[in-house]
Amino acid sequence: MELLPQFIANGLVIGSFYALSALGLTLILGMMRVVNFAHGELYMVGGVMGWWATTRLGLDFFSGLLLVAVVLGTFGWLIDRFLIERIRDQGEEPGILLTIGLSIFLANTALLLVGTAPLKIESPLAGGPLFLGPIVLTKARLFAVAVSITLMIITYLVIQKTRLGRAMRATFQDPMAAKLVGIRTANIYAGTFAMGTVIASMAGMLLGSIYSTQVSIGGLVSMKAFVVVILGGMGSFAGAIVGGLLLGLAEALWGGYVATGWVDIIGFILVILTLLFRPYGLFVKRAERA
Amino acid sequence: MKIQRNCLTAFMLLAAVLPFVISDQYILHVAIIVMFYAVLATSLNLVVGYVGEFSLGHTAFLGTGAYAAALLSTQAGWPMWATIPAAGLCAAVMGTIIGAITLRLHGPFFVIITLSFSEVLRLIANNWVAVTKGPMGIAGVPQPAFLAQLDNLAGKHFYYAIAWLLLAIALYLAYRFVNSNAGRAAVAVRENRYVAQSIGIRPLNYSMMALVLGAFLSGTAGGFYAHYISFVGPEMFRFAFMVTMITMVLIGGKGTLIGPLVGALLVTFLEEYLREAQELRLSLFGLIVIAIVLFMPNGIMGFVTRHREKRAQQPAAPVSMPVTGTKRRSV
Repeated sequence: MELLPQFIANGLVIGSFYALSALGLTLILGMMRVVNFAHGELYMVGGVMGWWATTRLGLDFFSGLLLVAVVLGTFGWLIDRFLIERIRDQGEEPGILLTIGLSIFLANTALLLVGTAPLKIESPLAGGPLFLGPIVLTKARLFAVAVSITLMIITYLVIQKTRLGRAMRATFQDPMAAKLVGIRTANIYAGTFAMGTVIASMAGMLLGSIYSTQVSIGGLVSMKAFVVVILGGMGSFAGAIVGGLLLGLAEALWGGYVATGWVDIIGFILVILTLLFRPYGLFVKRAERA
Repeated sequence: MKIQRNCLTAFMLLAAVLPFVISDQYILHVAIIVMFYAVLATSLNLVVGYVGEFSLGHTAFLGTGAYAAALLSTQAGWPMWATIPAAGLCAAVMGTIIGAITLRLHGPFFVIITLSFSEVLRLIANNWVAVTKGPMGIAGVPQPAFLAQLDNLAGKHFYYAIAWLLLAIALYLAYRFVNSNAGRAAVAVRENRYVAQSIGIRPLNYSMMALVLGAFLSGTAGGFYAHYISFVGPEMFRFAFMVTMITMVLIGGKGTLIGPLVGALLVTFLEEYLREAQELRLSLFGLIVIAIVLFMPNGIMGFVTRHREKRAQQPAAPVSMPVTGTKRRSV
């Protein structure tokens, strides 16, 4: 029991990382209803690009993060305008296949360019561990948690408080009505996809400074992100965060007390149970048909 | 429907003649893999094309079948003619369990819950070391004893015959299912769930039937694969297998019986052919998948059908091939 606070702290830290890496998918899957299997690869591209910007271009961490956000945002915009635009309103299948194709392309092209070795991004806040009572945390992790929270708050404010956010919510509620009141829905869709991509890639770079970035990480990230989005409920912003924290806590406690080898299974079991008993997520009250 | 049947028969006859003409082991190996994938794609097509739900968990049945065959033959010493049907049955049981849970959900929920099930099974295969030997996998799944006396070519011919037989059974069962009352009921559910319910069709029954049949077929394919490669590992549950299967079904054209066959041929050849491009291979493959989604949304069979319809010049009476592009959304 002595380790319990430490497990909980670890769970919350990892949970906030999960929440951040799933946040982009909440927008794309939850709101746009594109089952985006390339999410993890976009995360990976963000990490690889961050590594390239900081080590090869010699930028500092934050300029690197900005560069990644701009480049990947443009990339996301283009993906939506040129690929996803053409299969909108055709159900899930074309979207799934399209993003699977995209993920195969991104993962293998990245493999050609940088190889399989883990790439380490220098964290701007290196330094020793911090002792908070019974809990030990590294500064780098605390910094990453702080950046995660900031990013989440910014995203929340954009969606809830800006004109753009209002237009987004209108478009996903009723595209026709949104068009009638003069919203350019094509731009809104592309903007949302770009926003999801930006968040995913920034998460990739940020977490690349904690762990390391690897070309093959994409599949795992996508899976965890799906788990978090389903736990929290499709398109629920608060749900994604709580879902991430829940997954992190459950994994940390399971890993600490039961068996480390089986940690990954818990997420999927949670998903199956959630879909069976609360298919609209733990935190969405309104029952809405898919 | 008649043309489908004739095409299938012609294809199977051609395939039956092939080993008498060709004695190149590599080509025979590719042909065996094509038939293995054709069984898988046909079984997946029963769910994706006829139930109309997008399953990403079909590897669950493939892997269950493969592990069942491997365990039965290495632990219990069953011969191959018994393990392959047993593998199918195990997968069918798994299909009943998973189907009873998953088929209540639709759309993206169904996609993700099926994916979760296959991931859970993969993790079990990876971690339950006492039975599955974990990531090491089960090596040395025994081949039939008499193959030891024959040369390699005869061995390939033997496996070719088995694969042909499995494909013939799969196509026959799929054909019978699709052209039965149950198959038509399943199509009715796919096209409009509520209309189907209003005329007394219970959606769950028919989608269950299609799923369990599909699970059985892919279980036998898994059992065959275990003996042919003589190794089974947790990779059987991996998403990569799923990607191959799903591309085959969608490239060929879902909801047709020839589609998966064409898809299996095309994708396997494409993968072999792109080997020339070596490291670029998978990147190119990704681009091709994207291009097909954009430019041939109903797959090759959809393209062919539309072409035929256009040439038939019958605007008043559209030919009723069950190739509909968009699944009508339930409200």
